[in-house]
Amino acid sequence: MRAFTALAAAELRLLARDPASLFFMVAFPLMLLVLKRGDSGAVPGYLAMIAAIGGMGALPGLLASYRERKVLKRLATTPISPVLLLGAQLVAQIAAGLAGSVLLVVVTITVFGAEPPGNVVLLAAAFLLCSVMVCALGFVIAAVVRNTRGASLIGMLVMFPMIFLSGAAVPRKALPGSLRQIGDVLPLTPAVEALGNAWSGTAAVFPLLILAGIIVAATAAGAALFRWE
Amino acid sequence: MEAIEVTDLRKSYGDTLAVDGVTFTVRAGETFGIIGHNGAGKTTTVECLIGLRRADAGSVRVLGEDPARRRRALAHRLGVQLQDSSLPERIKVAEALRMFGAFYSDAADWRRVMERWGLRPLARKAFGDLSGGQKQRLMLALALVGDPEVVVLDELTTGLDPIARRETWRLIGDLKAAGTTVVLVSHYFDEIEALCDRVAVLARGRVVATGTAGELVARTGTASLEEAYLALEGADR
Ligand SMILES: Nc1ncnc2c1ncn2[C@@H]1O[C@H](COP(=O)(O)OP(=O)(O)OP(=O)(O)O)[C@@H](O)[C@H]1O
Ligand SMILES: [Mg+2]
Repeated sequence: MRAFTALAAAELRLLARDPASLFFMVAFPLMLLVLKRGDSGAVPGYLAMIAAIGGMGALPGLLASYRERKVLKRLATTPISPVLLLGAQLVAQIAAGLAGSVLLVVVTITVFGAEPPGNVVLLAAAFLLCSVMVCALGFVIAAVVRNTRGASLIGMLVMFPMIFLSGAAVPRKALPGSLRQIGDVLPLTPAVEALGNAWSGTAAVFPLLILAGIIVAATAAGAALFRWE
Repeated sequence: MEAIEVTDLRKSYGDTLAVDGVTFTVRAGETFGIIGHNGAGKTTTVECLIGLRRADAGSVRVLGEDPARRRRALAHRLGVQLQDSSLPERIKVAEALRMFGAFYSDAADWRRVMERWGLRPLARKAFGDLSGGQKQRLMLALALVGDPEVVVLDELTTGLDPIARRETWRLIGDLKAAGTTVVLVSHYFDEIEALCDRVAVLARGRVVATGTAGELVARTGTASLEEAYLALEGADR
């Protein structure tokens, strides 16, 4: 446990030192909110976006660089298990996303006077599942694409269309029908739905179950394909 | 007592036969050197010792355990410096030492390790901003922060300046005095002569000779370890 805490704390500190992560997970969603004049209807989507930027935009490149630069190899000579390392990455990503999200929600309520979320516990649960889901997808990308540049690039190429088509960055209502259909099958769409439901206070289990299913499938695929070297 | 026993170790990477029947033992408290040409199989041998690679055949015992099967339990008692590895670019020297210290059940005080290896002035510097030799020094310190019983150092002083090299020798001497078993891979004969009780000479994946530097010199009828090495390596070709 001490080893895990040390590892997760170090990873979180490294994330906080990364200007790109800091900008996209904290400042960028706030900017969008200001542009939207504090429309709280957009906030659940932004929460999914924050998680996706971390889990798919940043995590694949990070893991691939650890592998390429033999950081993973060095850690593999210590008593920590490889799984612990991935767990620490996950915790750090969730914590960073949570920080950005809490800030965003607080600003929405205090500065723009929006109603607080209908069901905070459900919102937290949806955010947690969403974060784990995007990190699992990021893990699959790092498993399939071996070099750092490739993994970063593919991560971005998957993440950007997804946040637009799933309703995270812009409402799906605004999209033409064919694009909306693509969104129907994207894994981030149920995450946006789950967050939206929790925000408005309606308890819907189905999107959460889908997220759990994606997590299980992606983790299994990632674990089967991931190479430490 | 033997700290390390390697018997008929074999390892290939695809078509490349890297280690072709290596046998040697290292006694507890001994400092054991491994020398050999580039590609001789030194790193591969060492990586089998620390459980990073599984041997194709033969047996490896470190402190009585099979490193391939008991890697994590053994890792608490092992300190490792790899020939080629790194840390996250933005992690600071003190953070790295503290974090690695937290991995081990019986770690040394990381602040003291930092002090001893002259890293204190660099404590707040990021890994990516260190010079090559400074990185090397940090990686050495990380090998010792777990207070290991066996230390495996692949290319101990490559990249260090002459003063840092001598300083490192002195610190390896301290380890030896404390009864730590050390395996070190090196291309420097002065280093081997200064530090090692015994040496194995590897060539093309096999051990061509093992003994004290004096024994190797006497056996080849040469005047120095370097000449002895060249004679042994040449005779094997
Ligand atoms: N990961 C790998 N994949 C394929 N071949 C490898 C790999 N690692 C080493 N080899 C090959 O195995 C042989 C032994 O390599 P090894 O790294 O053990 O040599 P070494 O004695 O440590 O050399 P050096 O002095 O250059 O560090 C070499 O022919 C090398 O090309
Ligand atoms: Mg080597």
